[in-house]
Amino acid sequence: MMGFMANIIEVKNLVKKYGDFTAVNDITFSVEDGETFGILGPNGAGKTTTLEMIESLKRPTSGTITLDGHDVVKEGDLVKSLIGVQLQASTFFENLNLVELLETFGAMYNRKINAMELLDEVQLTDKAKSQSKELSGGQRQRLSIAIGLVNDPKVLFLDEPTTGLDPQARRNLWDLVELVKRKGKTVVLTTHYMDEAEVLCNRVAIMDAGKIVAMGTPKSLIEKLLASGFSKPILQQQANLEDVFLNLTGHALRD
Amino acid sequence: MYTIYKLTIASLKMFVRSRQALFFTLFMPFIIMLVFGYIGFDKPQLSDVGIVTHSPAASTQQFIDQVSKFPTLTIHTGTLEEEQEQLDEGNRSVVLDIPDTISGTGASPITAYVNAGKAAEAAGVLSVLNQFISQATIAAANIQPIATISEQEVNAHNLRYIEFLLPGLIALSIMQMSVFSVAFLFTQYKEKGVLKRILASPMKPFQFVASNAITRLIVSVAQAAIFIIAGLVLFQVHIVGSYILLALCVVLGALMFLGLGFTISGISKTVDSVPAIANLVVFPQLFLGGTFFAISSMPGWLQAVAQFLPLTYFSTALREIMTKGTGLAGIWPDVLGMVVWGVVLIALATVTFRFQEREAA
Repeated sequence: MMGFMANIIEVKNLVKKYGDFTAVNDITFSVEDGETFGILGPNGAGKTTTLEMIESLKRPTSGTITLDGHDVVKEGDLVKSLIGVQLQASTFFENLNLVELLETFGAMYNRKINAMELLDEVQLTDKAKSQSKELSGGQRQRLSIAIGLVNDPKVLFLDEPTTGLDPQARRNLWDLVELVKRKGKTVVLTTHYMDEAEVLCNRVAIMDAGKIVAMGTPKSLIEKLLASGFSKPILQQQANLEDVFLNLTGHALRD
Repeated sequence: MYTIYKLTIASLKMFVRSRQALFFTLFMPFIIMLVFGYIGFDKPQLSDVGIVTHSPAASTQQFIDQVSKFPTLTIHTGTLEEEQEQLDEGNRSVVLDIPDTISGTGASPITAYVNAGKAAEAAGVLSVLNQFISQATIAAANIQPIATISEQEVNAHNLRYIEFLLPGLIALSIMQMSVFSVAFLFTQYKEKGVLKRILASPMKPFQFVASNAITRLIVSVAQAAIFIIAGLVLFQVHIVGSYILLALCVVLGALMFLGLGFTISGISKTVDSVPAIANLVVFPQLFLGGTFFAISSMPGWLQAVAQFLPLTYFSTALREIMTKGTGLAGIWPDVLGMVVWGVVLIALATVTFRFQEREAA
């Protein structure tokens, strides 16, 4: 072992202001190559703004971001070719079937792609000739991840990938994220769901009002909280309502 | 180039599969062409003449037979009451009450009841009748006329209404296609975050805009071709000008209106506001842009405005080429008009249309 993991993303003293409003207030963090990193926080905490600055969609007011050694502001186009993006509003071109849609997105990266292979990875081969409007919510999210993978990116960004999905579709998407991770890709995601972060993320940063208020592995954050003397009434349940639901309705996808 | 090529192909597929786009670009103008083409404004207008007789002698009967032979008159016969009723209802331009004998001196006059609402048409009928009476009188008096007219047929091609309409309709449908398809689609792309997703890829925004513009230029040439073929097959129109010049004008016109389409999607915040803004600029041109009737038939003050409309330049240029075979030298004022509008509208589009909202910071 080399003794250290290379950081694929380095964010230093990042600030984003809109007039008088400071959306992101001097945050510093790094993401290791190959890990799944979660940015958590309530609405308006600055998660999406942070993500969009790393994706070179928004210009930082100050601070630096490097991705795979490249300055995101100065080498935006190069950085864009290294990352895969799934946006919160997942809308696609209408009147194209999934194969044509993926090929079109591939062309945006100047790449000829094997659409069926990508559809196979996200279990949508049987929908190859369908249009995106005919897909269910979970299928649309999987398609959106397939689109994020058209350029074989080093880092995949997922903005609230499971918001609005039913429990089966959520579990299925988790499996998909694990699959992407096993291919050696770094995943950076935002979420409102703590259980999701706990299952998927190697490390998380918790944001509030534009600042990072805590960062570390989910386990270390929980231990730190307990060490500070926190306790809640212990309700020793071996299962929760979601387990009941999934036990009754099965893990199989319903779409 | 691979990117633009591939995106143009995708964008063509999207266009052809969009029912809404096909409706506005082909179906609607096509229906207009069929309706106006088959109504046939060109057929000679026949004047309806009512003839009332009582107990006609041979001379009167002969007169009526002669009058009935005029190709521009449709003769109806009936009682005075019947014919006057028809006149009241506007179904006759003139009703003639003809005495029983009309030859010789001291014959009773023919009474003509004239429809005041169709004064011009009635005057035409009466002048035809007067001429006929004069000729009959000359013949009866056995006098040599002072001059005769010898007719010689020249095979002139008179512009039919469908031939006037077709170039205007091509211009109109290209305007509809360029303005509406771009304004709706790009406002929707902006609203739904598609443009943002594109910004997250290394593709340049101009590559995306260019592939969509190229798509619509191809569609505009196809549109013109379809309408011309339909005109040739269904209405046997005569097209005299250069097809290459025609295609160039079509592309220029489409470019100009694409600029307008992008400007509209630039100022529209949501898809809901697109129809209102688009119709504000498109609707007046439907009537004032020289599609259905010539600018020269409008009152002067309206002509002053209408002659500068983008659609007027476009439809005039196409009409000059298609109906008169005018070359570039003859249509340069219209081409110049389109170039100026094109530059202005495309400049406006680049100012108003953004892939991303400008940031306040």
